[in-house]
Amino acid sequence: MGFGKYVGARVLWAVVVSLIITTITFLLLAAAPNPAIREAATQAALQGGDPSAAVERERELRGLNQPLYVRYMDFIRSIYTLDWGWSESRSQPVTEALLQALYYTAQYSIPWTVLTITLGPLVGVYSAANMYSWRDHVATGFAFFGYAIPNFFFGIILLLIFGVWFEVVPISYDTSAPVFSLQNVRQLILPVFVLVTGSIGATMRVSRNESAEFQNSDFMKTAKAKGVSPLRAYAYHVMRPTMVPLSTTLVGQLLALFIGSSLLVEVVFGIPGLGRLTFNALISQDTNLVLGSTLVFTFIAVVGNLLEDLVFTVLDPRINYDDR
Amino acid sequence: MATKKPEQFDRVDWSELSESRRFDLSINSIGMLVATLPLALLWLYDYQFVGEREATFQAIGLSRNLDPLDYFFVFTLFLFFFYLILPLYQNPRMTRYYWKEFRRNRPAVVSLGWLGIVFVGGLIGPLLISAPEQSILTGHQPPVFLSIDEANVANCVGEVVNGRCQGTWQHPLGTTRGGKDVFAGIVYGMTISMQIAFITTTIVAAIGITFGTVSAYAGGWVDEVMMRFVDIILSFPTFLMFLLILYIYGAGLGMFILVFSAFAWGGTARYVRSKSLSVSEEEFIKATRISGASTYRVVRKHVVPNVASSIITQLTLLIPGFLLAEAQLAFLGIGDSAVPSWGQLISAGRSDLAFAPWIVLSPGIVLFLTILAFNFIGDALLDALNPEAEAESA
Repeated sequence: MGFGKYVGARVLWAVVVSLIITTITFLLLAAAPNPAIREAATQAALQGGDPSAAVERERELRGLNQPLYVRYMDFIRSIYTLDWGWSESRSQPVTEALLQALYYTAQYSIPWTVLTITLGPLVGVYSAANMYSWRDHVATGFAFFGYAIPNFFFGIILLLIFGVWFEVVPISYDTSAPVFSLQNVRQLILPVFVLVTGSIGATMRVSRNESAEFQNSDFMKTAKAKGVSPLRAYAYHVMRPTMVPLSTTLVGQLLALFIGSSLLVEVVFGIPGLGRLTFNALISQDTNLVLGSTLVFTFIAVVGNLLEDLVFTVLDPRINYDDR
Repeated sequence: MATKKPEQFDRVDWSELSESRRFDLSINSIGMLVATLPLALLWLYDYQFVGEREATFQAIGLSRNLDPLDYFFVFTLFLFFFYLILPLYQNPRMTRYYWKEFRRNRPAVVSLGWLGIVFVGGLIGPLLISAPEQSILTGHQPPVFLSIDEANVANCVGEVVNGRCQGTWQHPLGTTRGGKDVFAGIVYGMTISMQIAFITTTIVAAIGITFGTVSAYAGGWVDEVMMRFVDIILSFPTFLMFLLILYIYGAGLGMFILVFSAFAWGGTARYVRSKSLSVSEEEFIKATRISGASTYRVVRKHVVPNVASSIITQLTLLIPGFLLAEAQLAFLGIGDSAVPSWGQLISAGRSDLAFAPWIVLSPGIVLFLTILAFNFIGDALLDALNPEAEAESA
C-alpha cells in the first residue's frame, strides 16, 4: 500500500468513526424523554387541556411520530449539510452560536497550543542535556506539579492571588477587548498559563526520556567530534528524532485536555467560549445546542487523531503501511 | 504474580502438580469465595427484605445504609486483598525484591504513605466521624490557629480576640458557608475517591484483559474488528458523552463510574493484546502447549500473570484521570450534589474565596496530593515491576 492509499484509507476510517459517534448520540437522544414534549404536556394540563393530545401535537410538530430510520436519515443529512437547528436559549441558529463561541475559544487555545508545542520539547531536551542537575530536577518538579494540579483549582487560586489580592489582572472577562491589545493579553494570560502548565508536563517528560536515548548515540558523538556547535547538534541530531515519538502522544493529550479543561477554565475565568456554551446549553436544556457542541468537540477529536496519524507517517519514513 | 512460585527450581512438589485438577481452587480463590458469600447474602437480604427507604442495618440499630455501589466497592476490596496483597505475602522473596526496587524512589514511598492515609481514612473515617451537617449559625468558622474578621461570621464557636474570630479544634479545618465541617467533608470525600479508584480499576482491568487476550488469541478478522472497535472507544470524547448522558437521563456516582470506565479500557486492551502476542511466542508457552494445556489454561496461568505487572502500572496512572474528572464535574455542579466529594467542597467554597479561602484550599490541596501520589507511584512501579522498560527509556 502506498502513501496515497494509506491516507485515503485513514480519512475514510475517520469518516466512519465520526458517523458511528453521531449515530450513538442520535440513539441516546432518541431513547430519552424530550424535555420540550414534557413541557407541552405540563402546559396543556395547567391550562385545563388534554395532556396526551398536546403531546401528540408536539410530537407531530417535531416529526417524532415518523419511524426511527426516517428520523435517523434526516438527522444525518442535517448534520452533514450544517443545518443544525435553532438554539432556543440564545435565539440564534446553532451554527452561528458555535462560531461566535469558537472566536473566544481560539483566542486562548492558539497561544496555549503554540506555547506547549514549542516550549515542551525545548525544555525536555534541555533537561535531558543536563540530566540529574538541579535544572533538570526543577524542570521535573514543575512537570509533575503541572500534571497533578487540577486546572480549575489552579485557576481559582491564581485568580485569587493576582486578581483579588494584587489586582494585576481583571477578575471578569471583557468581551469587547480587541484581539491584539494589552487588555486582552492581561485577561488571557492566566488561562493560558494554567492550560500550559497542565499540558506541558507530559510533553516535557516524553521528550526528556526520548531524547536521553540520543544523547550518547554514535551520530551525536560523530557530530561532536567534527566540532559541530552544541546548539546545532541538539537542534539537528537530538530534536528531530525526538519529535517522532512525541508527535504520537502530543495531539491526543492536547485534545483530551482541550475537551475537559477548556470547559472548566472557561467557567472559572468567565470566557464565553465553546466550553461555556456547552455548559450553559446543558443548564438551560437547549437540546439543539447541546447536540451541536457535542458534534463540534467530536469533530475536533476525530480530525486531531487523523492528523496525528498522518504526521507520524510523514515524520518517520520507516513506517510500513502494510502493518497498519 | 497471582501464581504460586516454588522458591527453588530443583524442588518441585510433584504430588501437588499431579493431583491438581481443572477445578482445583487456590487458597486465594477459596478466601475470595468465603468472603464474597456473606456479602452476596447481605445484598440479597437488603434487596429482598429491607424497605426502599430503610437503612440496611436498621434491624440491629445502625443507621448506615448500603447502596449497590458500596457492595461493589467491598467486593473490589476483597479482590484487591486476595489477588494482590495475599500473593505478595505468599511470595516473600519477590515481595522483598519489589520493595527494594520501589524504595529507591523516595517520593513514591512518601506517596504510598499518603495514599495509605487516604485509604484508611476513607474506610474507617465515616464510621468515626459523623457526616458533615448544615448549621447556618456556625458558617465560615476559620481553621484552627487562624482567624477571620468577626463581620463574616454569624456565630463564632471559638474566642473572639480584637474583633477576630479564632479557629477551634471543634472544626480543625473550618466550616463552609452552610456550617459544614471541612475536615469531615474531606474524610467523606476520601471514601468517594477510593470507591472511584477501586471500582473503575476493577472494571477497566476486567474488560481490558479479557478483550486484549481474546483479540490476541482469536486472530484474523475477529482481531481486526475488535481492534477497530478499540479505536472507536479511544476516540470517543468521554467527558462530553457523560455530560450528554447526564443531561438526558440524570446520573449519580454509579453512572459516572460506569461511563468513565466503559470508555477507559481501550488503552489497556491494546496493551494487553500486544503483550500477550509477544508472550505467546515464548518457548515456555510452546512447552506448555505441547504438554497439552488448553488455551484457557495458557492464558490464565501464563499470559495474564506475565502481563499483570505492566497492567498494574498502567492502571495506577489511569486513576488520577478519573479522580480529576469527578472533581471537575462536581465543581461544575452538574453531578449528584448529594455525593460529598472533594470537588463538591471546592465548588461550595468558590464564592467565599476572598475571605474564607480554606474551604477551597483544603480539599483542593488534598486532591492535588492524591493525584500527585498516584503519578509518583505509577512511575516507581514502572521501574520496579518492568526493569526492561527502564532500560528502554534510560
